[in-house]
Amino acid sequence: MSEEHKYCSVLEGKLALPYQYFAGRLGSRFIVSLRDAKKIFGVKCNSCGKVFVPPRRTCERCFENIENNVVELSDTGEVVNFTIVNYADRHLPRKPPFVLALIKLDGADTPLTHIVEGVEPGSVSNGMRVKAVFAEETTNCILDIDHFEPV
Amino acid sequence: MAEYYGTTVADIFKTQTERFRVEGAEGVDAVFAYDISGDGGGRWKVTVRDKKALTEKVDDGDLGDFSVKLSTDAETFVGISIGKVDGTEAFTGGKLRVEGDMALMGVLPRLFVKYTPPGGGVTAQDVIASLPERFRPDRAGDLEAAIGYDITGGGGGKWTAVVSGGKVTVEDGLRDDLSMKQTVSAKDFVDLVLGKLDPMVAIGGGRLRISGDMEVAAAVPKIFAKFEPKGAEKGPELIVLKKTISVDMRYATGPVMGRFLEALKEKKILANVCPECGRKQLPPREVCAVCRCRVDDFREVGPEGTIELLEHTYYASPDPLTGETRETPYGIIHVLLDGCSGTETLWHLIKPSDLGSAKVGDRVRPVWAEKRNGSIFDMLYFEKVD
Repeated sequence: MSEEHKYCSVLEGKLALPYQYFAGRLGSRFIVSLRDAKKIFGVKCNSCGKVFVPPRRTCERCFENIENNVVELSDTGEVVNFTIVNYADRHLPRKPPFVLALIKLDGADTPLTHIVEGVEPGSVSNGMRVKAVFAEETTNCILDIDHFEPV
Repeated sequence: MAEYYGTTVADIFKTQTERFRVEGAEGVDAVFAYDISGDGGGRWKVTVRDKKALTEKVDDGDLGDFSVKLSTDAETFVGISIGKVDGTEAFTGGKLRVEGDMALMGVLPRLFVKYTPPGGGVTAQDVIASLPERFRPDRAGDLEAAIGYDITGGGGGKWTAVVSGGKVTVEDGLRDDLSMKQTVSAKDFVDLVLGKLDPMVAIGGGRLRISGDMEVAAAVPKIFAKFEPKGAEKGPELIVLKKTISVDMRYATGPVMGRFLEALKEKKILANVCPECGRKQLPPREVCAVCRCRVDDFREVGPEGTIELLEHTYYASPDPLTGETRETPYGIIHVLLDGCSGTETLWHLIKPSDLGSAKVGDRVRPVWAEKRNGSIFDMLYFEKVD
């Protein structure tokens, strides 16, 4: 080490970022439904017929207010795309490797992103049928569905 | 002015414009006339046109042209407005008369948000009376305390809540042997309970005064469940998640800050001196901020010094080295170490037990950590030199 760099070192530290996330009125209803009724609902646009999940207030195509057109969805669906998460971060919901999949629930037109478990990550494939497993201990977030597993 | 259900007719019209819902007014062009009899009544006109609402009081004479006119007494009007009286029943019972375009009555609910009285009609007495049923013995443990409520102004009173043997009883008046007492106006008290007034704001502004045992004062919010106004319409549950993300940081010291930190391990505080202007930089920097020349001349300063600036901090930001939020209050000081002059001060903390008595001009010295690893907190804080 040169004389100039003799004193260089690296200090380890942390930065805490406290924040609040408001799920929104419709988002809150969605989470409460997952938590209490163990049911997944979407909203349907009466103009184009598309069913969105997670629910949203406005149809992205027709700009119709659709927040009250609630449609109950099945807890089963199909994997339409997926990725295997291979890095660890304390903010991730699982230790790697785990599967994050886009799951199109029966009755919905848009996919829901969630974890797929109960299958080797390498064996997950598009088209795989999966079913929601609801969390026993609820946390007021999307993880009130704990994960999806193959049917 | 006469109040019905804690609300006056004028309260309702005063807020009419702010309760207006633009999204409900599409295509509505109408004048709503109100003829309200009895104590606190009067005549008002509400014009809805071009997605705007205008409310006027008509003090004399005639209401002029209208699309629809409602005639009723003040009590019925307030009752219907706040949902205590059924509008259809009032109409069929002859207490409410409608002239003109009856269909417009159906449009009203989408034109205006329902009036809600401030505080939801909750009184200080309601809150005090609910203390026993809101008591949480599991959280109170074996706490024994007499909590005094000195609620001033209209709707106020004096009460003592006695916490004893895992129960709470409420007595009228203030006991002599209170553990703690809070003094606050009835309005602020209700707002505090309903979460509309921040306790820190109330204390800071002198609107809430707490005296006596601070440990009891700190326990009060924990040992009572949240107050839920009776009969209040419960809105849908709204979900808010409070989280803290913690991000790992790595700070490269560089050669100059590295040398300063390295010296702290040996209980030495180093400043560096500009070869051109002679000013000291503390902590040292690679380049003189004034002359912009390289600064290589390091000199030991301190360790004792004089407080130049002292700041009591009540709002803590997270400590960047740990991500934890510090206990408040804590004291930040700028110390002019011996050997430095002018503005060549060092930022650090004052010893917590010296916070109450420390003042600008006091002599201080660093308290060194047992284990020193080359961080600014190798000095734990500065303490007063006796």
